[in-house]
Amino acid sequence: MKKFVSLLIVLALALSVCSVSLADESVADVIAQAQTMTNEELYKKAIEESNGKVLYGIGNSSRGKSAGASFIEMLKGIDPNYTGTIDWSQPKNNSIFTALNADIKGAKHVYSMTLIQDGNQIQSKMLDTGNLLNFVPKEWAEAEGLAKEGNESPLALQTLNKVFMFNNLGDTKINNCWDFVKEGVAPLYMGVNSELVGKNFLYMLTNEKYANYMKNAFDALSDEDKAYFQPTVDDMAAEAEALGLEAENAKYSLAWIYLWCLQYNEQTDDGPICNTLVNTSAAGQSGLLVYSKLRSVEETNEASVNNITVAAYQDDYTGIGGYAYKHYLMIPKTSPLPWTACAFIAYMVTTQEGFAAWGKDMGGYSANPACMQDHSKDGYVDGEDKFPAKNDRGYEWWISEDGGALVVEDPAYCASVAFDLGDWIDMIIGTK
Amino acid sequence: MTIAARRPGRARIALNKVKTYLSKPQNTILILLGIILTITTIAPMVTIFMDTITVHEGSVDSRTAEDGQKYTAYNWEDLFVGKTKMSKRLVKTNLVTPLLNSVLLSVFSCVGAILYGGIFAYLVTRTNMKFKKYLSSIFIFPYIMPQWTLAMVWKNLFDSNAVTGGADGLLTALTGTSMPEWWCRGLFPSAVVLALHYAPFAYILIGGIFRNMDANLEEAATILNTPRWKTFLRVTMPMVKPAILSTVLLVFSSAMGSYPIPHYLKLSTLSTKYVELNGSRAGQASILAVIMMLFGFLILVINQRTTSGRKSFTTVTGKSGQASVVNLGAMKYVLAVLFVCTTLFTGILPIILFAIETLLPNPGDYSFITHGIQNNLTLKWWVTSENITENGLYGNMGILFNTTIWNAFKGTLIVAVCCALTAGTIGTLVGYCVSKNRRSKWAGYVNNIAFLPYLMPSLGVGVAFFIFGSQLGIFNTFLLLILAGTVKYIPFASRSALNSMMQLSGEIEEAAIIQDIPWYKRMLRIIIPIQKTSIISGYLLPFMTCLRELTLFMLLCSQTKIITTMLDYFDEMGLYAFSSGINLLLILVILIFNALVNKLTGASLDAGIGGK
Repeated sequence: MKKFVSLLIVLALALSVCSVSLADESVADVIAQAQTMTNEELYKKAIEESNGKVLYGIGNSSRGKSAGASFIEMLKGIDPNYTGTIDWSQPKNNSIFTALNADIKGAKHVYSMTLIQDGNQIQSKMLDTGNLLNFVPKEWAEAEGLAKEGNESPLALQTLNKVFMFNNLGDTKINNCWDFVKEGVAPLYMGVNSELVGKNFLYMLTNEKYANYMKNAFDALSDEDKAYFQPTVDDMAAEAEALGLEAENAKYSLAWIYLWCLQYNEQTDDGPICNTLVNTSAAGQSGLLVYSKLRSVEETNEASVNNITVAAYQDDYTGIGGYAYKHYLMIPKTSPLPWTACAFIAYMVTTQEGFAAWGKDMGGYSANPACMQDHSKDGYVDGEDKFPAKNDRGYEWWISEDGGALVVEDPAYCASVAFDLGDWIDMIIGTK
Repeated sequence: MTIAARRPGRARIALNKVKTYLSKPQNTILILLGIILTITTIAPMVTIFMDTITVHEGSVDSRTAEDGQKYTAYNWEDLFVGKTKMSKRLVKTNLVTPLLNSVLLSVFSCVGAILYGGIFAYLVTRTNMKFKKYLSSIFIFPYIMPQWTLAMVWKNLFDSNAVTGGADGLLTALTGTSMPEWWCRGLFPSAVVLALHYAPFAYILIGGIFRNMDANLEEAATILNTPRWKTFLRVTMPMVKPAILSTVLLVFSSAMGSYPIPHYLKLSTLSTKYVELNGSRAGQASILAVIMMLFGFLILVINQRTTSGRKSFTTVTGKSGQASVVNLGAMKYVLAVLFVCTTLFTGILPIILFAIETLLPNPGDYSFITHGIQNNLTLKWWVTSENITENGLYGNMGILFNTTIWNAFKGTLIVAVCCALTAGTIGTLVGYCVSKNRRSKWAGYVNNIAFLPYLMPSLGVGVAFFIFGSQLGIFNTFLLLILAGTVKYIPFASRSALNSMMQLSGEIEEAAIIQDIPWYKRMLRIIIPIQKTSIISGYLLPFMTCLRELTLFMLLCSQTKIITTMLDYFDEMGLYAFSSGINLLLILVILIFNALVNKLTGASLDAGIGGK
């Protein structure tokens, strides 16, 4: 009897191990097959797989819900009998990583796909561990004019920009990114530990490319300003070495980060920052915030978009104009509906309807030109350029050194410096 | 047949003892509740502790862990002494300062809440102060509102470009006066806002005792010519001591685990640090939660020491008791006006500001006052019925047409009603059973274990249920929210029930037992009717708390699932018109429920105390 029970246990264990590895393989396998299929083929697979079922998606953007509704409508257009639905959730703060990891390690798997931000944690908690898998749709990879670099692995839904702005009432003049860390300047900014893409921006500044940007901007300063910043830059040489940073000009970046962390005025979100900056009582105030927030300002005697200047839009501006981070689309290795997840992802990154939830606003850029909408004249009213700050100059302009010179997030670099540099930043913030 | 042969065996004697013990309903219930509460309470605590020694992928503790290593002491060592040169410098930032701030915040909040709420309770119940009914109703408003909304009001009132940076708040915009930084940010405003928020709590608990108190003892002291102050200190105070201690326990723990107020008013506490550290130092964040729990245990021990022995007082007997009313003379008007003014700030002003905020063209844009242009008021936040045109609503529809908001409302009501029913019933049973077994160690244990969840920081409980729920595949479901809410809010009902049951003389139920009246009838016909105010409070408190709870639920569901996560989302986004509108609706819902309960049962949050 005992032997029989033992045998049963061994068999059960073996079966469970097999089923787990089969599940792992099957999601990866589905992705490998899906990458060779057209959208139409994927949609058919999705209909077969999820008819009458619910696809659970989890993401940092609430607009996944609208995109999901649009996707379901599209599938119903192909098969009117399709009854699948999408349940979209947007957890608070950084709990998306805990939710996903718990789901993947748990006994029952719920989430089929995710729309996720924060390259550093994605790299260290999801890619390095193999918990999330990347899927590149065939039609996306073959799209014309695609900006593949930096958007393929992991697959980016969009690049968002956060840009330096200041209230132009009064006599404040800002034409160099170092002006934001001058004595007495306290730009409004989301806490780096409440929105971690903001911390990734600081990590990225120490990358060679952006450290050179900072050095170039420093060189363009007046002698007086250079004299003010020079002691901090000199002090940072030793810190750069201690932190193991390889960029030759890392000390310039560290000096800027040091002063920025000491001086920025922490806010809960970009919304309040925008509301503040457009106000007449915020003369001279500056901030670093999502560009698209400008779209929702209603013009009154007290608030106007024209009270704001986008720093990088000034002809004589030098240095970085802000930073860019990405929303990535990925599939958990335990996804219960991998075909539908692949189809949904393909729909979002290859069609204008799929990207419409995000594409209708300025400041969010798909790598696929087929999905993009033009926002270069969003500031025009009745043919007249009334709000120049709202005329989006586009992705290419923003990321070029001659244009917006945005600091673009790279998950691998962020993860490589995050531990020590993260502690260093926390230490500075702690002394405030 | 010998006498020895007729004597029952030991097993039979034990069985009979067990049967006798279980024949009393309170004993059976106590055993069942003890087992259930032990599991639901201990499991989250074990989960959190285990998290402190677990290696987290992608977290600092994984740096030194070897391949396959699951457990480590790294987090404890690094948080307390610093494992690296850099982290040594972080000990103050990540541990010492938040700990100190949390303790100070909790102490000041307790003192403020008890002084403000206690004095008010005394004045309403034991003096002839004027406008009692109005004041009693309005006093509980800060407790009805989600706790951080008062913090938002504080910010909107006192922020200024000159001191806090950004745009001017209402005070500066209207008068040009800027308040100093200590007034606008940090410990002072956080403690004041928390004290104001919990003062109604002190009022409800202390006021309930004041009102139900038998005046015979005080009258005896008066007859013996004891000075009034001495009667107050030696007779009245000892009788309200259990309520004061309950308030201290609840407020201290709540203040320590409060996240949104210190978050919005920029005070680094254990709870705000918990959220900050959770990304890269998840294990150390859990240690902060453990520290908060240890404080909870400490208070529990102090409470046990203080109330050990015969320190409870029977204040409700079968005899009639009429509390004496102190004549304040002319002060009855002065004090009433004083409280009218303070409640104007804590109760009326926020509602007016909420209402105005929903009519502003841009959040915080008071141009209709500063420029006197009435056209700068708008109803768009309420009546916009589409989200295609850009109306400055960030892609949202107006409140009246926003199905996301109304679905979140429905979700909150489901959670609140279910939590109130389950927590209220379990809590009342705990209170009853413990009061009937005062000297039993098991009863003491059940009482403590039922209370423990309250001592655990909401955030910690939330994380534990979040991991537990995610593993079971019930993340973002009502089931998980109700489960967490029930466990967390049983103490409200158990404390409230225990306080009232302890005052209930045993002779009342004994009379029915002699008549062989079944237990359920004794409960329904005698116990519950006598103490219905306190028992209904035990249902109302979880209900109200659930309606405006954020910290406990924020990790358990998506931001659109319930109204508080939605409200916080709008506040964080700076869309104050939406959050203000939701606040108004929440207040309205609570007032309607309160009025309904009052109409149906005669009990309500304040009516049982001084509202009538």
